[in-house]
Amino acid sequence: MSGSSHMRLEDRLPDAAPAPGGAIDPSALLGTWYNTDKQSRGIVRLELATEGDQLTVRAYGACTPEPCDWRTVPARIYAASIGSLEGMAFSAHYRFDFVEVILAAYTKQGILVLDTLNTFTDGSPRANYFTREFFHR
Amino acid sequence: MEKLRFGRGTDLPRPGAPAPPGPWPDPEPLLGTWVNFDESSGGLVMLEIGRRREEMTLRVWGAAEPEPREWPQIVALPFAAGVESPKAVGFTALYRMESLETRLAAYLNIRLLVVDTYNYFLDGSARSSYFKRDHYYQP
Repeated sequence: MSGSSHMRLEDRLPDAAPAPGGAIDPSALLGTWYNTDKQSRGIVRLELATEGDQLTVRAYGACTPEPCDWRTVPARIYAASIGSLEGMAFSAHYRFDFVEVILAAYTKQGILVLDTLNTFTDGSPRANYFTREFFHR
Repeated sequence: MEKLRFGRGTDLPRPGAPAPPGPWPDPEPLLGTWVNFDESSGGLVMLEIGRRREEMTLRVWGAAEPEPREWPQIVALPFAAGVESPKAVGFTALYRMESLETRLAAYLNIRLLVVDTYNYFLDGSARSSYFKRDHYYQP
């Protein structure tokens, strides 16, 4: 696929504006996030942290008697625009031996909105599915 | 029957629920042309979602001057609202270009298509990776 310096207007810096050129600050994302729905059957908790310069996420699924620990994976961080260095979103990828899960999340007014896109890889009679859940710290 | 593996409750069908016809939900609710509500958006101005044999296809147009810029057609993956659901309510797709990787994660809210893009630059241009949300309607 051919590339270009910008594929749409929002990928282009304003004339003469310098690119920010630094690492995106993850501060607004870090910490433990709890599902606002205490009865959720999905993700009950997220732990966002850094290891060196790398943002990491650890998700916990709703299981009984204890939440299922999905363990820690690296996450990619995003700002609100090409000129910003304030992190406000992330994505991550879990590959289990029966399902692949993409996590895609952003923060808005103190709430973390998490989408999961779930593709089963075990041939079981289940539809690949989408979830949207809300988290607070 | 072999016990289903799971990592959370939503990975399991509810008791008595019928199994879906297959792993990929029917993309029919998503098909068609979707136009950005925000006419001044600098992001994706239009999406075209189609079906080619068993696959769901996606074409998008980025805001550009003097005309929107068409991105190549790619395969998108439809997702249902749950493991028992036969119809798609969302999709994801990944554009990997020379300078940019863009993941789209979208879902239907009534007749509004909400599209989030996660954009990551690969060209060392020092632009920040960024998130963007846009809303689309069917004209």
